[in-house]
Amino acid sequence: MKNRIICLLPLVISILVILQYVFVPNFREFTPLDQNAPTNVWVWFVGFFALLLGLWNIAAIFSKKANDRLRKSAPLFAVVFLLLLAYDYATLKTGALPQPFVPWPDAILNAIIRDRAILLTSLGHSLRLLFTGYAIGVGLGILTGVAAGWSAKVRYWVQPLTKLFGSVPSVTWLPIILVLATSLFAGAVFLIALAVWYPVTATTMNGVLSVPKSTFEAANTFGVSKLGMIFKVAIPASMPSIFGGLTQGMSIACTALLIAEMMGVEAGLGWYINWQRGWADFAAMYGAVVIIAVTFFAVNAVLDLIKRRVLRWKEG
Amino acid sequence: MKGTIEIKNLNKTYARTDMAESLCVIENLSLSIKSGEFVSVVGTSGCGKSTLLRTIAGLEMPTDGEVLCDGKEIRGTSPDRGLVFQEHTLFPWLTVRKNIVFALKSSGRYGKHGDTIDTLLDTVGLTEFANSYPHQLSGGMRQRAAVIRSLAVSPDVLLLDEPLGALDSFTRMTLQDEIIRLWQARGNTMVMITHDVDEAVYMSNRIVVMSPRPGRIAEIVDVPMSYPRNRGTSDFAALRTKLLKRLDFAHEVVQDYNL
Repeated sequence: MKNRIICLLPLVISILVILQYVFVPNFREFTPLDQNAPTNVWVWFVGFFALLLGLWNIAAIFSKKANDRLRKSAPLFAVVFLLLLAYDYATLKTGALPQPFVPWPDAILNAIIRDRAILLTSLGHSLRLLFTGYAIGVGLGILTGVAAGWSAKVRYWVQPLTKLFGSVPSVTWLPIILVLATSLFAGAVFLIALAVWYPVTATTMNGVLSVPKSTFEAANTFGVSKLGMIFKVAIPASMPSIFGGLTQGMSIACTALLIAEMMGVEAGLGWYINWQRGWADFAAMYGAVVIIAVTFFAVNAVLDLIKRRVLRWKEG
Repeated sequence: MKGTIEIKNLNKTYARTDMAESLCVIENLSLSIKSGEFVSVVGTSGCGKSTLLRTIAGLEMPTDGEVLCDGKEIRGTSPDRGLVFQEHTLFPWLTVRKNIVFALKSSGRYGKHGDTIDTLLDTVGLTEFANSYPHQLSGGMRQRAAVIRSLAVSPDVLLLDEPLGALDSFTRMTLQDEIIRLWQARGNTMVMITHDVDEAVYMSNRIVVMSPRPGRIAEIVDVPMSYPRNRGTSDFAALRTKLLKRLDFAHEVVQDYNL
């Protein structure tokens, strides 16, 4: 009984969010020409999730698995909807948070829909930049990391570099890169690749160095070739450590991407935020922040999924 | 006959940074091992028994003297001389079956070996665990898998470096029987390092007793008992006592009676 109530809680609160939005009076009057005049978009948006929660609750009656997963996530969902309710109340309903600097959810959603074409282009540009830089950084990082882990001579030269780039944030170089780069895109790719290169090199090198000697010796007794030692023993054995660098590198890459876009590159979501701030279109600015948050969250979730797939041989 | 090992006046010294002179680990050691023989090497830690085994494996080079396998000088590792370590060295990122496939492919013996992978898995009861990862197995199962992985490439000599040292005594006894069975079925040469005198007496044809610093052969003891052996016989106990005495672990216990 208690579990059933907890499972129903997010649904109930999501309906409260809608009721509150529709029936509680707004903090001021809106003319139909007002860009941020409340619409039904927020009702549809929350209503969509309320419908999903309703269906999930019905499924939970029949399926133990659906029930268990709902029971596990329900408190979190309930709090999320509660925060949305509080946010809407503190902005649109009372204007308690300073207006017009904190737009309400409906205004943010409408801004996203209104600007969808340019947002999509910006998103595409950001992702292209992120993945180009990330791929180059990861590729070079694994290359130098394995080489440095394998050979003491390479390590002698690579280690000071990783120490330098590890202690100086890569965006420090941004002004120089932007001056020297032939194109802003190339400069930003270089910056992101550099930001990713360091952690991937460091973790790959440590990974290769910490492979037990006996693992190589065992491979040796089977007559594994030198290339085989690198590609079939050293790299797979270092995968847990390499993935540490990939995750760390992705978070640095996201930061570098936004800073590059805000400081110089004239495209992408970072640029869009700055541009809308210039126009004092706060709803659009918040919209871009939401899209960036969702995008980075999704990118990291995909990376985590790949990691768990590749490292399924690992304990725990 | 393949799998004979001839060690002539082997010396092995290591340069040390913490001492002026280099450390002599093995001094003037000569030993010949016949094809198909099961030889155990016992000795306290630091007597150079592991170094001896690693030299036969080709992982260490002699400072002086020579080590021959089937008349040829050992210059490096070879799939003809398999090695099983105390800590299992299965590749953790590969399943048991893929570990064996890896060994076979690396040694160029994939599809050419005597037993199929399934037969090998079956002989040690790992059929159900063929697709498990090493961390999903118990310590005993991992060691079984490591042994059959080494045997899969049909080595002429299997070198065992305290293979059962990390296992509990019951698992240990079971694995001793399994290793003897595998050895008898294949007839390859076995050289096993152990610090368990019981294990040496139970499993081997000959026992090499080594004394430490520098490592040399103190005595070579024949074990004239047929397999399967019984740990409870008086012959077994007598041999065991003899070895322990040779290793200085069987002092007479003087009892004090206070009435």
